[in-house]
Amino acid sequence: MTERELEMYFGPQHMGMVGNFGITLTVKGDRILKAKANPGYLHRGFEKLMELRTWTQNSPLVCRVNVMEPHSMEMVYSMAVEKLAGIKVPMRAKYIRTLTLELSRLASHLFGCWAYANMLGFDTVAQWAMYHRDLILDLFEDFTGGRVYPIYIWPGGVRRDLPDGFKEKALNVLHEIRSKISDYDATFFNNKLFYDRAKGIGKISQEEAKNLGGTGQILRGNGVESDIRKIEPYAAYDKIDFEIPTREGGDAYSRVWIIRDEMIQSVHIAMKCLEQMPEGSVYNKVPNPFKWKIPKGETYVRVESSRGELGLYMVSNGGDKPYRVHFRTPSYPHGLTILEKILVGENIADVGNIMISLYVTPPEIDR
Amino acid sequence: MNKSLKKKLESDFDSSVEILEKNGWTITANKNQVLDILRFLKGEGFDYLALISCVDWIEKGEFELIYILSSYLADKEKMHLILKTRIPRKKPDFETTIHIFENAEPYERELHELFGVNFNGHPRLEPLFLDRNYKTPPFRKDFDTRKYVEETFGSIKSVEGKK
Repeated sequence: MTERELEMYFGPQHMGMVGNFGITLTVKGDRILKAKANPGYLHRGFEKLMELRTWTQNSPLVCRVNVMEPHSMEMVYSMAVEKLAGIKVPMRAKYIRTLTLELSRLASHLFGCWAYANMLGFDTVAQWAMYHRDLILDLFEDFTGGRVYPIYIWPGGVRRDLPDGFKEKALNVLHEIRSKISDYDATFFNNKLFYDRAKGIGKISQEEAKNLGGTGQILRGNGVESDIRKIEPYAAYDKIDFEIPTREGGDAYSRVWIIRDEMIQSVHIAMKCLEQMPEGSVYNKVPNPFKWKIPKGETYVRVESSRGELGLYMVSNGGDKPYRVHFRTPSYPHGLTILEKILVGENIADVGNIMISLYVTPPEIDR
Repeated sequence: MNKSLKKKLESDFDSSVEILEKNGWTITANKNQVLDILRFLKGEGFDYLALISCVDWIEKGEFELIYILSSYLADKEKMHLILKTRIPRKKPDFETTIHIFENAEPYERELHELFGVNFNGHPRLEPLFLDRNYKTPPFRKDFDTRKYVEETFGSIKSVEGKK
């Protein structure tokens, strides 16, 4: 039987796919000859919508850009507004922000573990990850009021202080997660099946990753110690000691291991935050939201989201609304340029594997 | 290092450099020199293109293109640069930067779709996100979102049957 070239549509609805995102594959047998990313299923035009809303009205909107980790989105928006308007943030709010961002990273990584483990057929590990993520969502509900969309980090600080007894609760959850890492290792990360499926899959060299605009796990899985938390510290990251896990290899295996190592670091940072947190107020008053105008200017701010560099370019023309907003999301280069490149020559069965190991979230790409 | 870089940018490329803060510079350049400056900066170690963006300054009849650069190297990584230039709104043509930064490809595609900026030499300026055809590219300031929605979807009856 001769093999012929076929064009096939992978996604937007597919088991091995996270979110609505399509890839058009040209295949021969089950080898991929060409891949074409096909985004747009989740394009909601947030950047345009934000131009039509006031600075305060944008706060509940901006977290919805990325479902997986709304906190980083709020953080980057708050940072941009604070920079343009010259608002200072109290020290306690900085610590609470750091704590929130790390819990958010942990929740996002656990969700990532769920997706990856589920895709490889490790159902038990996937359920554990979901359970542990839920514990963190309970914490979010406790101190922000919202499980998924918290609308908590605002320009000027955070919306309200931590409730009584929160520290003990949070420490309980963090200890619980850290103590279960060995279980994850035994069943998943040190499992031969995971090694066989992930080692050497979706390989990208360090040089290529840099040329194509890779950040986050793509670089750290290639031995580059790159982390915005260290390069341009924001919130209280300059006051807390932590390590940047790196690994050689540049394949799915090392990228997923980086995610596991980062979870341990996140637990560590969150605990340090709870320990070192100073007393004081948690927000500085901003002007009347109906009359709030921000002076002319432009800014680019960036944070390390759980996927890589998350940036925001924002322009104000002196009005009560932003003039232009543009998010630089980490999944954008990962899911469009890098994905198209490294899928070539791989198996159809590994498309979901590669996509999740690149940690691509479609809502971030489309915006 | 930074002083000589600023001097070089100002004398060789007659662009103006404004240092807003310690770790973020804004460079305003002439549109004919953007590619040269990008090449120069890449050679100087700013080898990472974070974002290409566009702002529609409708009152002045201009688009502003924004290139945000940073570095993967250890000694320059604490800084990012905003390079901006203006092109006329009536004839929004510009050169592609794919041969300098490979990851410019989707950004230029997006700006072509949302702002109607043509990047000469781009291999595939096809739609990225949008499904429908728009007379005015939707992210321009003269595109009225509400009016478009009413015209396109307004004739659809509501589910309850009342209008």
